[in-house]
Amino acid sequence: MLVLPDPILSRPSEAVGAPGPAALALAGDLVDTMRASPACVGLAAPQIGVGLRAFVMDVSAHPKARSCHGLVVLFDPELLESSGPEVAREGCMSVPDLTGDVRRATRVVVSGTTPEGERRVLEADAFEARALLHEMDHLDGAVFLDRVTGPHAVFPRKVYR
Amino acid sequence: MARFALSALGVDRPGIVAALSGALASKGLNLADSTMTVLQGHFAVLLVIEAPDGTSAAELEAALEVPAGELDLVLSVRPLAELPERGTQVGSSLGNDPEEREPWVLSVHGADRPGIVHAITSVLAGEGANIVDLSTHLVGDDLAPLYTMHMALSVPRGSSRLLAARVIEVGASLGVHCQMNPGDSDLL
Repeated sequence: MLVLPDPILSRPSEAVGAPGPAALALAGDLVDTMRASPACVGLAAPQIGVGLRAFVMDVSAHPKARSCHGLVVLFDPELLESSGPEVAREGCMSVPDLTGDVRRATRVVVSGTTPEGERRVLEADAFEARALLHEMDHLDGAVFLDRVTGPHAVFPRKVYR
Repeated sequence: MARFALSALGVDRPGIVAALSGALASKGLNLADSTMTVLQGHFAVLLVIEAPDGTSAAELEAALEVPAGELDLVLSVRPLAELPERGTQVGSSLGNDPEEREPWVLSVHGADRPGIVHAITSVLAGEGANIVDLSTHLVGDDLAPLYTMHMALSVPRGSSRLLAARVIEVGASLGVHCQMNPGDSDLL
């Protein structure tokens, strides 16, 4: 797992295109890593050091989730629609010592390519929408620290270094 | 009404704010703006005190001597200068006129090294951007510490695009990532 200040996390990733064996292996790595990390609801390829536009997400059983598509594996995702901005606290496996308040849409429509190579369109709201936008940010080299609402919107997880 | 700035710093523990505010309240002094936070395990206080005309900074320090001693705080009180009249040269260059300024948030993060704050804020000063609020954190392990800095800015209207480009360029030369976003100006 890469953590800031690793520069890979601030670099835009490259398109996957038609998913081949390497992309499927990447998806498997992402799912395994996410599953191995308690409280992790999503993981993007740059977080494990791969500069490709791929992420996995699973908000099942998360108390803040409304829409829930179970395990989602998506390549080359695109944001088609977003609305209803709301501020909420976020953390990230790649920024383990801080959390932050970020304004994000609460309703999104996202398209992308599945591991089977088919185009999929997802409609999501609430926490799942936030998770999608958070993971898609990683593919553009952005983390939540780039989007917090201001200087008093960043919080140390533990008070003392 | 006289205004004073109190600064105090000491190892963090419960009761610092209660002790300081208690000493001030017992003298009938009023607390105005303040910012208080934990910095690397030390509690830092920056507080504006309103006091009757004729009060001296030495009197205020004397009133705070007991709690400062008990809590081992480094403490000082200084009188605040009167603010310049609105519309004078200094006031307008500080820029609180919403017609001429717009709010932005600047996020900076990267590997810690000396000089990040100076390099970034020098760009801001050079472009006439005013820092309204600033917060930084140094986190992570000693081998790869992460430095983060977030600022609320008041930026001359129309200059944000150029400013963002300059900040990103200077940040890149230091290996830090910079992002400027519009500040929240919703009125509810």
